[in-house]
Amino acid sequence: MATTLTPKTTASVGKAILSARNLHKIFKTPEGNDLLVLDNINLDLAEGEIVALLGRSGSGKSTLLRCLIGLISPSTGEVRYRNRLVTGPMPGMAMVFQSFALFPWLTVLENVELGLETQGVPEGERRRRALAAIDLIGLDGFESAYPKELSGGMRQRVGFARALVTNPDVLLMDEPFSALDVLTAENLRAELLDLWEERRIPTKAILMVTHNIEEAALMADRVLILSSNPGRIISSQQIDLPRPRDRNDPAFLATVETIYRAMTTPEAAFVSAAAVGFDHAGLGMRLPEAEVARIIGLIERVDAGPDRGRDDLPVLAADMQLDADDLFPITDAAELLGFAQTREGDITLLPEGVKLARSDIQERKVIFAEHLMNRVPLVAHIRRVLATRPDHRAPRERFLSELEDFMGADEAERTLDTAIDWGRYAELFEYDAREGRLRLPENGG
Amino acid sequence: MRATFPDAGVLRPRFKLTPWDLVVVPLVIVVILLLTIAFRGAAQPFDAATPDLTVSLDPRNLPYYGLRTVFRMFLAVLLSLLFTFTVATLAAKSRRAEVVIIPALDFLQSLPILGFLTVTTAIFLGVFRGSLLGLEAASIFAIFTSQAWNMAFSFYHSLITTPRELREAAAVLRLSPWKKFWKLEVPFAMPSLIWNTMMSVSGGWFFVVASEVISVVGRDNDQYLPGVGSYIALAIEQANVAAMVYAGLTLLIIVLIYDQLIFRPIVAWAEKFKVEQSEAQEVAQSWMLRLWQRSGFAGNLNAIGAAVQRALPPLPVREDPGPRVEVRPDRRPIDRVIDRVWYALVITVTLWAVWFLAVYMFGPGLGFGDGRVLAANPNVNSGLDPEIARQFAAFGVTVNADQTVWLSEVCAATAGGTQVSGGMAGLLRDERVGAPEDLAAACAIPMAPAGKVAWSEVLTCLWLGLLTTMRVVIWIGISTLVWTPIGVWIGLRPRVAQFVQPLAQFAAAFPANLLFPIAVVLIATYALPQNLFQAPLMILGAQWYILFNVIAGTVAIPNDLKEATRVLDLRGWAWWRKLIIPAIFPAFVTGGITASGGSWNASIVSEVVSWGGTTLTLSGLGAYIAHWSTGEFNPHVGLGMLVMGLLVLAFNRLFWRRLYALAETRFRLD
Repeated sequence: MATTLTPKTTASVGKAILSARNLHKIFKTPEGNDLLVLDNINLDLAEGEIVALLGRSGSGKSTLLRCLIGLISPSTGEVRYRNRLVTGPMPGMAMVFQSFALFPWLTVLENVELGLETQGVPEGERRRRALAAIDLIGLDGFESAYPKELSGGMRQRVGFARALVTNPDVLLMDEPFSALDVLTAENLRAELLDLWEERRIPTKAILMVTHNIEEAALMADRVLILSSNPGRIISSQQIDLPRPRDRNDPAFLATVETIYRAMTTPEAAFVSAAAVGFDHAGLGMRLPEAEVARIIGLIERVDAGPDRGRDDLPVLAADMQLDADDLFPITDAAELLGFAQTREGDITLLPEGVKLARSDIQERKVIFAEHLMNRVPLVAHIRRVLATRPDHRAPRERFLSELEDFMGADEAERTLDTAIDWGRYAELFEYDAREGRLRLPENGG
Repeated sequence: MRATFPDAGVLRPRFKLTPWDLVVVPLVIVVILLLTIAFRGAAQPFDAATPDLTVSLDPRNLPYYGLRTVFRMFLAVLLSLLFTFTVATLAAKSRRAEVVIIPALDFLQSLPILGFLTVTTAIFLGVFRGSLLGLEAASIFAIFTSQAWNMAFSFYHSLITTPRELREAAAVLRLSPWKKFWKLEVPFAMPSLIWNTMMSVSGGWFFVVASEVISVVGRDNDQYLPGVGSYIALAIEQANVAAMVYAGLTLLIIVLIYDQLIFRPIVAWAEKFKVEQSEAQEVAQSWMLRLWQRSGFAGNLNAIGAAVQRALPPLPVREDPGPRVEVRPDRRPIDRVIDRVWYALVITVTLWAVWFLAVYMFGPGLGFGDGRVLAANPNVNSGLDPEIARQFAAFGVTVNADQTVWLSEVCAATAGGTQVSGGMAGLLRDERVGAPEDLAAACAIPMAPAGKVAWSEVLTCLWLGLLTTMRVVIWIGISTLVWTPIGVWIGLRPRVAQFVQPLAQFAAAFPANLLFPIAVVLIATYALPQNLFQAPLMILGAQWYILFNVIAGTVAIPNDLKEATRVLDLRGWAWWRKLIIPAIFPAFVTGGITASGGSWNASIVSEVVSWGGTTLTLSGLGAYIAHWSTGEFNPHVGLGMLVMGLLVLAFNRLFWRRLYALAETRFRLD
């Protein structure tokens, strides 16, 4: 993204501070199978830059962040911080958490001071620095408040103060604004960028994990995009726009569009190309977490949209007020079910999708059911099992343990829940949540 | 950075006094003085030459007795906390320790507590030779056993459920394990630990009464440690009504002081440890806590602590990486080898312990002889009269330390009952001895070795266990039926609930065994059926847990649910079935578990109750254990404890845990 505007701040990008080499992370499923989460990650975080790590949910971006800071160990490969091998959390690195991770029983001041306790800072000095950090981050007057007395935005300010008080060299942030409402997030983002631009914090580099494309485009000098299952860095884009960036600036919009394109390549998509080979058994296929109503809503919206069956994703996201993280599972699902195709940051309805959009409720169910049976092996499998059982019933656990051969327990749970949600809508089977049992509908479906 | 920072001194506590210190400082001095007095009393010499310990029923002694009892209770809680912090932490931190500690705790907490008294007395007397501290320690340990397991379990559970994000934050801040323990793990565990401690102490008062009278091997009479429990025991023995009333008042005052001065402040203080997203509507209050916080005393203590910390050399700055927080740590091959060795060791030791226990209970041959199952070896001298024991000894019959004479010993002294001398025949005919009519025939049956358990006794024990189980089930059921509607009625009226809730907690702490004699007198005077009137004694202290949990559950029902049922016009049984029962179910289960545990333990005390010369016995496992717990630990007590432990374990696993799982999954309100 070469732009005509002069890059004011990113000129001083220097040598790498934090780097990962050939990093792999393998988790064990409950069944004891290996699950590759991160695949051959190589990255460098250089002095003077803000890097955003983007990816769908389940792309392992939080896992990568935790490997980088030393909270978890890579299965193979290594992480180095200023040329030292990272074998655990190091001095010089600080982290901001999505859920703030404040100690509820400590006051704001005590929470912030905690960051200095292991640094051997004498008591008086510790208090002075904590108060300075609190002041810096705009929390004056709240020193003796407990976190539960504060709003979400104020809590995350404490999270920032606690990280910044240690004068960190590298700041790692795990979706720091995603638990905040839009306005608060905007405000906090801008203040952090001010501190960074005006060099009021000694931090040399920032790495943030996010699923919000606009956020990444607003803040980062470089955006790395992770593919899903397993996580691989599939794209790295430089953004040389001066900050603060204007949302309506054509160059900015172009940047957002580029990121959308990169995120809608087949390999970035939630359901990777290999798993979508519809003809094989494919029980291990993860299903995107999207409710039926939202899938159909999206299809209807695209069908009725200005371009009639075709839409630009950034525009769609803005219109529908959806985060990329909310939007992508829906487009993925539409694509998986064969109703739409997402390429180059655009969504295009397939004929079947148009048909679905223009049908009445009963017809929709029939179409949906047909696509489910043909394209989601798990749903077809559940139908088959139920049909062969004399009482046409089977416990949910039965399918769950099958799925756990292929994926982690949480992932299996999510995938099965999605399959059940879709199958119920299509009236392919019924589900009794109390007993945790699936059964064929009375009239045979 | 800007220069407008407030001066650091603004927030540093200075040494200062407030008017509130006029109350707090003397209070602290008085507490220290009282502790000194109690300790001096507990550390007196005690050896073979010391006359038997006894108490006086003069009510003027009661303040001192109360002090001694409170002192014991206090030490027991301290010990329990120490045990909790070490053992539960070990279990949570080390997977290998966990596989040993957790099942052990699970079993220990189902064991009848009073059985331990006999085991430990001898040990502690040996440790504190020549000092009363030995007996004190035995008594304290008995109270300790009623608290520690429960508290350790709750702490362990908190440790393993510490939120992951907070553990990660602690790791990124590179807190040392010690700091992490006090800044993260203990605070997180605090609310449930305090709640459990409170429950445990309430249960402890019940057992104080039973644990202060101790039989010591080598002494004919029981030793009465100075304390309210001993006072009550003596008052019951002498059927002294006035003394019982005094003792009751003393306990009432003690429990009240303890509630107001210690537990309420702690509960109120612990509010800040609750991990919740928003501020709670109702926060526990305590006047004592406010007093303490307003006085400069606490602040000064902090200042002193900080000064001490400043005086110490500063901790070295750590440059090394902190520990990782793995989701599921990879295990190296060497770990697997160590695991195997460790599990093999655990299994070996367990098998050895089972073998040891079997030999200890059933004796050589494990209850079999000549290919036949051995019959019980009756304790001929069932009266335990020292005089009769002496007469037996004169005939060359071995008398055990606990004054028992076994049939097998008599058989040995009379050549299998065939050569009974005149004097011996006379002794055997004494009705207090209760020897079999046909001694030769009785001796011909192969008997288990003296003091050991015969197989037939196991069946008896199981049968008795079944009787006690039935009693527990029936009375838990009845108190549920009684207290649920009352609790719901109270819970729906917040004003009443506010008033009743502390009262119910107080009632749970008040030892119910003080009221047992009333039942004895009533049953004996009016010849009431024991099963109907004595059995409920076991639930007397435990029922309150059901009541206040039902109240708490009802209070917590969200208002919109209540309004929805009003809109839907749900009434009568439908209202109960659709709203109340599902809503209070989780709280009820928690109360039910505590109540049933409490009544199991109480069965030992409540199946045998006495007042003066009257003793009422209800056949059951509790009575069986109480019957045999009259001297040193013996295989019969062991058998009784084992059976009760296993029954409670089975009962909890098969019944309560299932209900609990149901409550967790189906009836959660959040």
